[in-house]
Amino acid sequence: MQMFLRHKWIIAAGLIPAVVIYTMFSIYPILSSVYYSFFKWDGFSPKQWHGLQNYVNLIGDGVFWQSIRNNLYFVLFSVLGEIPLGLYLAMMLSGKLFRRDGIFRTVFFMPVVISTIVVSLIWNMFYNYQFGLVNTALRAVGLDHWAQNWLGNPGLAIFVLCIVVVWQYTGLYMVIFLAALQNVPSEVLEAAELDGAVGIKRTWHIVVPIIADTIFASVVLCISGALRAFDLIYIMTNGGPSHSTEVGATYMFSQTFSSMKYGYGSAISTAIIIISFGLIIISQFILRSVKR
Amino acid sequence: MEQRLRPKRPFSAQIHRLVLLLLLVINIYPLLWMVLNSLKTEQELTMNPFGIARQPVWSNYIEAWKVAKLGPYLINSIIVTLSAVVLTLLVGALAAFFLSRFEFKSKGFLLVYFTFGMLIPIHATLVPLFIEMRSLNLMDNRLTLLLPYTAFNLPITIFILAGFMNAFPKEVEEAGIMDGCSVMGIFGRLILPMLTPALATAFIINFLNNWNEFSFALVLITDGALKTLPLGLANFAGQYNRSYTLQMAGLTIVLVPTLLFYLSVQKYLTAGMTAGAVKG
Repeated sequence: MQMFLRHKWIIAAGLIPAVVIYTMFSIYPILSSVYYSFFKWDGFSPKQWHGLQNYVNLIGDGVFWQSIRNNLYFVLFSVLGEIPLGLYLAMMLSGKLFRRDGIFRTVFFMPVVISTIVVSLIWNMFYNYQFGLVNTALRAVGLDHWAQNWLGNPGLAIFVLCIVVVWQYTGLYMVIFLAALQNVPSEVLEAAELDGAVGIKRTWHIVVPIIADTIFASVVLCISGALRAFDLIYIMTNGGPSHSTEVGATYMFSQTFSSMKYGYGSAISTAIIIISFGLIIISQFILRSVKR
Repeated sequence: MEQRLRPKRPFSAQIHRLVLLLLLVINIYPLLWMVLNSLKTEQELTMNPFGIARQPVWSNYIEAWKVAKLGPYLINSIIVTLSAVVLTLLVGALAAFFLSRFEFKSKGFLLVYFTFGMLIPIHATLVPLFIEMRSLNLMDNRLTLLLPYTAFNLPITIFILAGFMNAFPKEVEEAGIMDGCSVMGIFGRLILPMLTPALATAFIINFLNNWNEFSFALVLITDGALKTLPLGLANFAGQYNRSYTLQMAGLTIVLVPTLLFYLSVQKYLTAGMTAGAVKG
């Protein structure tokens, strides 16, 4: 390797394209978002220095806090829904009972690859008041009074959306855990599998510690994924009814591009970044203390 | 006696099988329901949302294809997706090569720097990216989405490729040096061919990400003629929100190729994720 070290410029030349593109279109926007958040700006006329006023307004903005609370619901449902369910599926499919049934693997991962737009539109129709499957099924079993406009109910809509998110992404964690379980000695798995999820205790004490690092990484991925939710809400409810399904990203979007408050929108973006990293750090802290 | 020694198939196994089958149905049914209903008339959908169409209305498909302008959107999506995938793989493979096979001072920093990209909430970059693209005069161009798509897929691509390359023995380079290869010769003639399985995975992940991407397209593309498939589909659904069967037909047209693509590549997808994404 000595020879290569004399050619540092080759290393630099090889890395520069990736670093430049990534910096210009991924990192630089984040930094400029922080910068814009200190201005009052409609995106076209000259920027006006606004100091911390955008943040002061943000703290007093009820809709912003509502959107953060909804983001937390998404995070909670995702972490507590997708990861345990994904782990259960991975445990089952790596055990000898279902190892040969490739169809399970194929189907459970399928929603992950479908465009969120398609998923949103399908589920919109699924929840439709008139012909939607949920209501039709309820009427069929005589629970007519339960049938309702699921996405139009401010108290329920956010949870209705959470179900769709779990439906879409559980398969991703199943595949990640399946990969991790490949490195676990098969005797361990088979012992745990014999009583499967009934023997939750055994799974918890034997399998989970072995793949703990993968679980930590998945929790991070899951949190940042849940905080990215935008397409789904934008299509299904656009934050409504009356902001009850608003999340940070949709609120940022409407404030910026509909209300033309670029500075305020940037402040929301910055807040989303701070909250994401805050949550990731907190979750890692909790997980590590659980491990010990 | 022998009977008792043989491990009995536990009762719980039956329960698990039932749970898995139930989940299987929950995963498939919404899609199947949509496909079945796409062949009905509006009236039949309301009257009988469960069953199979009495008389399939194939014209839904023809109309949806035309009304939703799926043809032009499809072409836009193919151009944007493939150009971004190719650029990402080229640039990403090169970066991954140096990050995984060489030692240099800024290596640790760069690895953390790229990891950061996987955690960025994409939507926090929409506003500044819009402003940046506007000032660079890159809005509403066939290739507008090329650079953001590449930037946001580079981290995962680099990690999959570097993770895979880390497993190659050191002797690869040594053999190359013996044979008088240059650094780029080693990359092109030795590393790249060995990298094929990981490149396949990265290709698939990139392809699906770009193919399905919505928010950048929403913000950066305003010209109707340049819209990609997800964007066009969202508009179509917004405009024709009374004609559900037409919507279902349009969605099916988009869904089926994606599923066929997935079914044909899923082996490489999961195998590669195992090799790269997790360990990297």
